[in-house]
Amino acid sequence: MMDNMRRRVVITSVGVISSLGFTLVEILNNLKDENISFERSFFDNEDAIVSPINDFDVKDFADHFKDRRYLNRGAQFCVASAIEAVKKAGIDKKLLAESGLFLGTGPNLDIGGEFPDIKVGEIDRKDLMALWMLKFLPNTAASVIAKLAGIHGENQTITTACSASLQAIGEAFRKIKDGYIDLAFAGGGDSRLSKSSILAYKKAHALCDGTGNPERAIRPFDKSRKGFVPGEGGAFFLFEELQHAKSRGATIYGEICGYSASIDGYAMTAPQPDGKWAERSVNAALQEAGLVSSDIDVVSSHGTGTLLNDLMEAKLIDRIYGEKPPFVIALKSWIGHIAAACGAVELAICLACMQSSYLPKIRNLDEPCHAALNFVREEQSCPIRNILLENFGFGGQNSALVVRKHDRLR
Amino acid sequence: MNILEEITEILAEILDIENHNISPETYLIRDLGVESIDLLELAVALNSIFKIDVNDDEIFLKKLRQYITEAEQQNKDILQYLAENLPFLSRKRLEEITADLEEGPTLKVEDLVSYVERQCYEN
Repeated sequence: MMDNMRRRVVITSVGVISSLGFTLVEILNNLKDENISFERSFFDNEDAIVSPINDFDVKDFADHFKDRRYLNRGAQFCVASAIEAVKKAGIDKKLLAESGLFLGTGPNLDIGGEFPDIKVGEIDRKDLMALWMLKFLPNTAASVIAKLAGIHGENQTITTACSASLQAIGEAFRKIKDGYIDLAFAGGGDSRLSKSSILAYKKAHALCDGTGNPERAIRPFDKSRKGFVPGEGGAFFLFEELQHAKSRGATIYGEICGYSASIDGYAMTAPQPDGKWAERSVNAALQEAGLVSSDIDVVSSHGTGTLLNDLMEAKLIDRIYGEKPPFVIALKSWIGHIAAACGAVELAICLACMQSSYLPKIRNLDEPCHAALNFVREEQSCPIRNILLENFGFGGQNSALVVRKHDRLR
Repeated sequence: MNILEEITEILAEILDIENHNISPETYLIRDLGVESIDLLELAVALNSIFKIDVNDDEIFLKKLRQYITEAEQQNKDILQYLAENLPFLSRKRLEEITADLEEGPTLKVEDLVSYVERQCYEN
């Protein structure tokens, strides 16, 4: 292959498990019907608000397999959505074996659930598994997915907080673009819906309080925003070199054009207020895509509904796009914040919207915190060509990904 | 629940299979595909449920072939030597095992039951 021949990377399978649905069609319908899942958590007597997937069972996706016992709930979402993407990919064993596997996963924060009798540091109990540590190792999901699906290619498990799954997708994109592999499954799954996790985010003052109407709790970019609502779920995609996808007649859902990541080096939880390094990751992703800011039709914001993120992010979007502001959506107002998996699930929702030229409103945005931005206040139909996804995580992790609608004629 | 029923429950849970796939005659490795990490879980579960000490080498017959080699090297009666080292197995079962070695790992569910019965009795 010629060195200067640019390899393009397309999406040829989608497996998604979200509170808005388990397929792109379901997701689109539930966006349009505002059929959402926000409720007061049953596991927290202080009334935290969460966005759960109440009817999820990993067995429905991956059948019976003995390693299921080693999966924490986030890892279950990883495995279920990955197996879904594998099934829908319809590729043979040989291609599966050559495929890469890139995951964004989070820590298992359900300490209270895992060790209900913990006392003065003693965690042992009658039914503690011999290999209980597997429920805490970040790459257990990768190991299970590889075993179930027969995937043996390049592999990374990325654990950069809420930026993790977008970075996993970005890394898969680059491995294919740079010619190391032709195919890779990438995505993530996470759940922080447990008493211990809620305690963690409450102590960090990142959650909105549990009072009021649960459906009104998360309000990205609204002046009265008070914090995020934890959600759960997972999404995986098959990424594939364009000619490879075309030659086997694969369905193409979209193209990944650019990616970048950076780290603030500023604070452990708060974003750097001027968003300098976050901005750099967005600009670098645009540059890799060969685009300028005015080419972007829609920004899928990180939009957590926390005071600090949304302030930083609104200013950042304003600085980058200036005179010609793109539409800004905030999908966490629909599904809550899925932590390490937010980027993957948000990409799935973006693909559903892109396919149907549909933009969902930012829910609960009554008084925007920034006047100059083009926040989507009411749902609308409009052609979408380029979407830029942003995710920013605890620890100052920043990532941005450019996805383009696939045009068969190009 | 008797010991067999308890062990069946434990195996079904660890291997994520239905109870009806498990009988005293079932081979753990040949029939159920048990791997070394499953044996780790099994030992922990037997220890905590029956409150017995579980010696992995004994209960899972890990040294079976080593004992046979030792008996041969020392010109001892193989069955007698096995009976001394694996006292929880009956003479009949040991005869079966020695005749069955060619076919692969011989560990059966009934061997776990025998081990647990003996350990419970000794307690």
